[in-house]
Amino acid sequence: MAELAAILGVPHNPLLWRTMRSDPVPEDLVQTRANFTRFADAIDAADVDVLVVVGSDHLRQFQWGNSPAFCIGKTERFACTFENEIRTFGLEPWEMIGDPELASWLLGDAELQPEIDFAMSNEWVLDHSFTLPAKFLTPDLDIPIVPIHTNANIPPIPRAERYAALGRYLRSRIEAAPFDRKVALIASGHLATEIGGPRQFLGGGSPDPEFDDLATEWMRTGDLDGAIAGCTFERLATAGNVTGQFLNFITALAAARGPASFAEGTPSRFANGPFFLWDL
Amino acid sequence: MSRFQIDKFISYVEGSDQAVRDYVADPEGFVAAWEERAASSRLPHPDSGTLSAEERTALVNRDHAELYRLGAHQYVLWHFVEAIRVWTGEVTWPEMKEQFRKDIAPHGTPDCST
Repeated sequence: MAELAAILGVPHNPLLWRTMRSDPVPEDLVQTRANFTRFADAIDAADVDVLVVVGSDHLRQFQWGNSPAFCIGKTERFACTFENEIRTFGLEPWEMIGDPELASWLLGDAELQPEIDFAMSNEWVLDHSFTLPAKFLTPDLDIPIVPIHTNANIPPIPRAERYAALGRYLRSRIEAAPFDRKVALIASGHLATEIGGPRQFLGGGSPDPEFDDLATEWMRTGDLDGAIAGCTFERLATAGNVTGQFLNFITALAAARGPASFAEGTPSRFANGPFFLWDL
Repeated sequence: MSRFQIDKFISYVEGSDQAVRDYVADPEGFVAAWEERAASSRLPHPDSGTLSAEERTALVNRDHAELYRLGAHQYVLWHFVEAIRVWTGEVTWPEMKEQFRKDIAPHGTPDCST
């Protein structure tokens, strides 16, 4: 039967693709590189069959014409990524294998399950929210993916409670699956981050270290109620205009049902990078 | 609803290398063609839309501060500016980063809901 074999949260800052792969790794990114290696080893040790990645498309696949709150990708293969991300971030046109059986189970086959009203996509180009974690954690991209998009970028966005409901649902549904699968649940997001606003790239580092400290503590102590209460739209916006993507870690926390064994906001020139890992 | 048209336009341009080149080569012509396609179709078209006068002017002038003030989605706007100014070689990334921040500073944090 299926089991949740790993739960983790990582950053997907696309600027890491060029900067972190230089040799030697720049001093301010050494710890970020080490954390990705540590988390990749954890996935390797768990010997998982599939990555369920909870991320937020950056207004490419899902735009203002159609912006689902939660969407599951159900297809055999996913193209990665878009022309603008190849130009701007130096990403490459990878491909990832899907897992339609698991995707269908999570959706609910013929009827949606009562917990979450998912949208479904049979054709989806994955952006850096999905490809960066996958590429850094499984460099050969040889483990299938079930992507779950969460709308953290186009208001109105789902409340923190809904991200927690998503995490609870994913755990219970995966554990109830009538087929064998070892699953890694990977939340992909940010701590306090601003892009295109007045605080972007303000000399490096986080635009809101106080939020980052709080957020990391919620994960370290397993404080789901605190995280939900602390992640109002207004508080997230105050921490930076794309900080809404932190909500994906609430999904991981709810699925984990307890404190992370490793929780760190890793400093870098860009922001504090979220690294959360749970022992199962 | 009008902010949606800005977002649609800048997202469309930023999404394609060729669109970036075409827009930078002739902003006024590019914007006119965008609106002509909208006028010629009853249904929404992937690469068209109807703009207000101030939106049109801002796009023709490639005025990122005005687009910011009008409520363009900030994440998309920054990458649009990177594409049309940095990728095209007009300015360096560090120069653009500083210029952008200086230019948007007077406008606070506009509502970007659509």
